[in-house]
Amino acid sequence: MSLLKPFSKLPGLNTANILLVESEEQFQQSLADALVEETAVSVYVRLAKSLPLPKENEESRPRLDLVVFIINMTSELSFHSAVASLKHLDPGYFLGKVCFMVTNARSASVPTERLDAVRKLVASLHCPLIFAEDQTPDGVTNATERLLTILKVAAGLVPMATALYLSNLTRCTVPPDIDQPSFD
Amino acid sequence: MDDPVKRLLQRLIRRIPSQMLKITLDKWGRLTATQQRSMDFTQPKRVLTEKLLSIYEENEWTVKHVTELEMIYIMDNPNQGMWNAYQLMDPEDDSQSVNLMQFKEQFKSHLGEIVRHVSVKMKKHTDEAVWIRIAWGDGFSRSNHLKPTYVVHQLQTPYVFVTSLTSKQKPLLSQALILATRHQNIKDANLSGLKLTAIRELLMRQYQQVFPTKYHSPLTEKTQTVLNTQTEREQAESAANRCQMACEAFGDGMLPQLQSAVYKLETKFRDPANKTMTEREEPFRCVVKFASTNLLESLRQCASSGIASTPVTPLLSSIPLKGKNYFVVTDNGPGSSQK
Repeated sequence: MSLLKPFSKLPGLNTANILLVESEEQFQQSLADALVEETAVSVYVRLAKSLPLPKENEESRPRLDLVVFIINMTSELSFHSAVASLKHLDPGYFLGKVCFMVTNARSASVPTERLDAVRKLVASLHCPLIFAEDQTPDGVTNATERLLTILKVAAGLVPMATALYLSNLTRCTVPPDIDQPSFD
Repeated sequence: MDDPVKRLLQRLIRRIPSQMLKITLDKWGRLTATQQRSMDFTQPKRVLTEKLLSIYEENEWTVKHVTELEMIYIMDNPNQGMWNAYQLMDPEDDSQSVNLMQFKEQFKSHLGEIVRHVSVKMKKHTDEAVWIRIAWGDGFSRSNHLKPTYVVHQLQTPYVFVTSLTSKQKPLLSQALILATRHQNIKDANLSGLKLTAIRELLMRQYQQVFPTKYHSPLTEKTQTVLNTQTEREQAESAANRCQMACEAFGDGMLPQLQSAVYKLETKFRDPANKTMTEREEPFRCVVKFASTNLLESLRQCASSGIASTPVTPLLSSIPLKGKNYFVVTDNGPGSSQK
């Protein structure tokens, strides 16, 4: 099974490459437009619906510094697609080069079990979990800023900070009473 | 209101929205210049109705005039009420040479023979289709103009579109139609919708169709949003394939607006996990209905976004292919029932 490997290619000078994986292919487009506007670093964005990525692009694909899984909380399909894609990532990525972004978490139609399941999954992988709002330009800007912070560290462009160090600080944790019934 | 014609006129005015009222009345052309000038279309509907009812008294309009106005309104706004499509079968040798006059005479005489007190009005639309308005009566009562049936037929095509037809009236209309168009049979085309234009476009395939091609590029450029130079899609090819197959199944551009698709299942229950149901001999009867404001557009999006697997299953692609939205699915494969 071909896994996406983190260190099999050489990095570029002052560049950062990010892969956005989203089953619905909506938010990733507005994020991509906002991400490339960064001036301090050249950001190159790759968009995918799911992993594995097609073999044909293997040669031309640059080294991916950060893989972001975007999950729409209102869709069970989105969650399952992200979980299925995880299998195609080399374990080396999980040392700070994977991030999860979740949209529509505040929506009333989201069952609490799904949010708990996402948190447990992300905590077990020691990755950061970002809650984003995708409908307004402000929401997109905020999400972009947070992604850029993590991306710059993951690409090695921030002195004295490594991806593993940052992920230890920012990783998702679950409260010990997550399995207790909540008072709704 | 004891005058039924007056009541009919009042109901009709109430039905026509204010924006359409001036246009429809002008098209009808039965108001004199002074009367036209006296109509102030900025006033509320109630006032306009009063005015028109007084003009009705003045001009001594009859039921013929009022039904004429109704027909003009419906012909220009056909997308209301539920339309059903029927198909004429087994044409006789001279069916292709039936001309308009012949059709009109034959239809009126045949229908008049079968139904007493029927009032038939026929008009040719600009697109060569014949519109028929039928007010049904029976042996005991005069024609009921409050519930007319409208029939649209384009001569030399096998399709007939009907709205507001009861099951009692259906065999009578069918008989008159097959005799007038020189066919031997008429059957239900299993297609219904709120918009006449949509079901007609679907049956006559008047929407943009896509044929299998090796080079997809025109379609990809149109549907996928333009990305900046620093962004790239990894799975662009598979996305383009999905889009191509979705468009091949459903068409490109604006699709005819269907509101629902109904599948009546008469297949055996199959689920390895549920033994009690699977062991039953009789088929599991179930009806599945898909509803949407624009069903074909929704299905096309499902296929191109990957929610529905591609190549598109024949159950869904038969909707535009066969021009039907009612299917009976048996264990031998999808088919359509003859009603």
